[in-house]
Amino acid sequence: MRKTILIAEQSEVVRKGLIQIIGSFDLFQNIHELACNSNIKASIIKLEPDILVINPILIQPEFSGWLKDYRSKKEMKIAAVVYALFDDELKDLFDEIIQIGDTRLKIRNKIDSLISRPRETQRQDPGDILSPREKDVVRLLAKGLTNKEISEELFISPHTVITHRKNITRKLNIKSVAGLIVYAIINGIVNVDELHDNKNV
Amino acid sequence: MAELIITAEMKLSDIIEANKRALVLFPRFGIELGFGDKTVEDICRNMDIDLQFFLLMVNTFLNPDYFPDKKLKNVDVEMLISYLAESHNYYLEERIPYLQSLISQFKHNVDHPAIVQLEKFFDQYIVEVKDHLAYEDETAFPYMAMISSYRKKPDIPVGQVDYSVGVFEERHDNIEEKLSDLKNLLIKYFPPAGDRYIRIRLLNELVDFEEDLINHARIEDKVLIPVVKHLEQKLKSM
Ligand SMILES: [Fe+2]
Repeated sequence: MRKTILIAEQSEVVRKGLIQIIGSFDLFQNIHELACNSNIKASIIKLEPDILVINPILIQPEFSGWLKDYRSKKEMKIAAVVYALFDDELKDLFDEIIQIGDTRLKIRNKIDSLISRPRETQRQDPGDILSPREKDVVRLLAKGLTNKEISEELFISPHTVITHRKNITRKLNIKSVAGLIVYAIINGIVNVDELHDNKNV
Repeated sequence: MAELIITAEMKLSDIIEANKRALVLFPRFGIELGFGDKTVEDICRNMDIDLQFFLLMVNTFLNPDYFPDKKLKNVDVEMLISYLAESHNYYLEERIPYLQSLISQFKHNVDHPAIVQLEKFFDQYIVEVKDHLAYEDETAFPYMAMISSYRKKPDIPVGQVDYSVGVFEERHDNIEEKLSDLKNLLIKYFPPAGDRYIRIRLLNELVDFEEDLINHARIEDKVLIPVVKHLEQKLKSM
């Protein structure tokens, strides 16, 4: 699925640079640009961008409130373009910070993670602490259960199991089941005896 | 941070100055250390190494974004395979045994029950890596070498081979993922136990190995596979 990105940045050099770099990733069908904030709300409403890349200087308090409100209705990630320092009060508004000194690869990684990361959950969990439900999922995975078996065991839909697994991987930054098992042992989510049924262990 | 692009007139020592991880590249071309002030061009001439190929490998290694389309299309498959196979040797003979020795040193110093599971995870991973490399060395690479030498030896029964680079592409899974898991477990989750310097040494090696593997897989996916696909197509239309 191809996406839309809106880049609002007053410096032409920086704006064009970002367009060139982000364009080269071939992730976006449409790349739109704004050099000031006069038309920004109308543009957002019209384009419904998946990602807004914006210099915090362009965000007045009133607009910041508007953005929060907009995001309660629409899925739009926001990345700040930062030259040096910026107003700490705005920190919560951004899903990602693009530094002006970032390499192409770094920007690529940031944009990739913006695209793949579900927003709501990311805002709720501050760190890598798993919810009780996620711990259940880890425990059953460690015991060797499949997604379907886990969904039956926990009375949730297979789709929900998949969502939990994605969130677990994102929070812990551990992708393999074998790695999750080690995590589960370290944190006492399972004990070694429970692993017996799992052929992978 | 601007990345440095290595060119023919640069000294070999400048490459290492730019990124010490590039040290592992030299053995893959048969280049020994102690090369004084020789430039890339000098050494390639002396050792009969294809200059463009050398530059391509060094630069893709140093800069993940360096993938000049035009140069890639003309890469010699046999050169590429010999480079990749040399890397496999290095993993099997040097990197993996070293990693194993670090893990076992770490283990002997740790008094925590989870170490058993961590070691199992690692052992299992090594088995997977060896399978992965063996499959490439024994099945994928010989097939690719055959395809690329077809023009020189047209009596090869290419049409009878029940294999294609598409099969390889399909099953080419990424082996660096678990390495990154292991790294994160040791950075973030494994309790502070055992010799901290061994743990740091282990992490250093994991980071280096992961980067080497990522680069290696990138060359396989973005250079080797497309080039061989192109050759396959040419053969079909013959
Ligand atoms: Fe390989």
